[in-house]
Amino acid sequence: MKRVAVTGLGVVAPLATGAAAFFDALVAGRSGVRVLGHLAHGATAAPIGAMAEFDAGAHFTPARLRMLDRVSQMALVAAAEALAQAGPALEGAKDTACVCVGTGMGGAQATDDGYRILYAENSERIPPYSVLMAMNNAAAAWIGIDHGLGGANLTFSTACSSSAVAIGEAFRRVARGECEVAIAGGAEAPLTVGTLKAWGAMRTLAPADPRDPAASCKPFARDRAGLVLGEGAAMVVLEPLDRARARGARVIAELAGYGLCTDASHITRPSVDGQSRAIALALADAGLDPAQVGYINAHGTATEANDAVETAAIRRVWGAAADRVPVSSTKSMHGHLLGAAGALELVAGLLALERGVLPPTMHLDTPDPACDLDYVALKARAAPGLEAILSSSFAFGGTNAVLAARRLD
Amino acid sequence: MTTFERLAALLHTEFDIAPEKLLPEATLEGLDIDSLRMLEILFAVEEEFAIAMPGDHGELKARIKTLGDLATYVESLVAPGAAAAP
Repeated sequence: MKRVAVTGLGVVAPLATGAAAFFDALVAGRSGVRVLGHLAHGATAAPIGAMAEFDAGAHFTPARLRMLDRVSQMALVAAAEALAQAGPALEGAKDTACVCVGTGMGGAQATDDGYRILYAENSERIPPYSVLMAMNNAAAAWIGIDHGLGGANLTFSTACSSSAVAIGEAFRRVARGECEVAIAGGAEAPLTVGTLKAWGAMRTLAPADPRDPAASCKPFARDRAGLVLGEGAAMVVLEPLDRARARGARVIAELAGYGLCTDASHITRPSVDGQSRAIALALADAGLDPAQVGYINAHGTATEANDAVETAAIRRVWGAAADRVPVSSTKSMHGHLLGAAGALELVAGLLALERGVLPPTMHLDTPDPACDLDYVALKARAAPGLEAILSSSFAFGGTNAVLAARRLD
Repeated sequence: MTTFERLAALLHTEFDIAPEKLLPEATLEGLDIDSLRMLEILFAVEEEFAIAMPGDHGELKARIKTLGDLATYVESLVAPGAAAAP
């Protein structure tokens, strides 16, 4: 198996478009969560969410926008940034270059718009591109088309672990020598009226914090009240480490391990067993001792169930040493990007490795007694000797995916 | 502004077709307008001119080969006595 390097990062997210600016915002502890007045519908209060800092019109012509759901728009911009950063990574490799994208919902806005036209407006003027905009593989397909990538073009949909799975599966393909380059990540655009209502119906969404809506997502806190949906896309460029070094590329980190397993027990309830198994699998795959891990970007959704279970899963793997491993949930700032969450949070972890700074868990004033780890609360922390990181994603449906990355000097 | 000029402006601003290509004799095929794009254009034309085209796109396809054909057809729908149009 070949060692795999990350040579490009791309981000379209709440807080910023651009990976570096996004990480700066996380380190500054800024929140992208706000009241979405334009998505108010019916008698209930306007929803909160974390919209991407993204002006589609600055990137695409009107004619293109008619064919691209927001999920594909954001995916394309993130992919272009990652490929630009990777330099001439695609040279001589386009025929086998692989695209792996995770998304939970695909073109949710196109679906929402179509139903609104049909049922609310009683019209049959469904836009002709509706199917092509809504299909789950649209984002991956457009990345392949725009960059002429002729290898496997795959879409993974495992709810909240979709993009961690996409990156893990791309990692495997590069490691096995099936392709010289892969672009992998995720995209999600769930901030539509219908999607927010459906999530609201599950009673998993946090209400707006009455003092400060931006502080509504409170992972690991005693007063956490649920998740906040966010939108965006994040992509990484993967290639064999020896190839990246031979061409003089900037190697951000080594993607070193991938742990994948399934709870096979309950459709929503997280499991200490499943989460800890995925973490252990990623560590073993990377050849990392738990003590080498200096940061975990947690799944940390701020739901009652996840945060306590995830804490227990980390304790099971690290034992008494769990007190010494810093863990943060950046969802406190960018919200839960569902199918794009794993990719975005891996990018946060990779930049933490590269810069030696741990992004904080914000809005964690009073920890839950069931959540007793070091959550890097409220303030970023310098970590100059950071050697390896994990990024965890645990999904409805039970698919647990953990990615491990190692610093290269 | 003539019907053709309005049509050309719409195709330029909304569908990114270069102004120099927007000539009455330009064919849809020559402009690389495929069947799905044509449907999008017909939706936009209906909105721009506040008209409704018949749902039979096979007939429209047979009838409209060039931008000039499209302008003439739109005029027949907006003009008084448009009811005579198919």
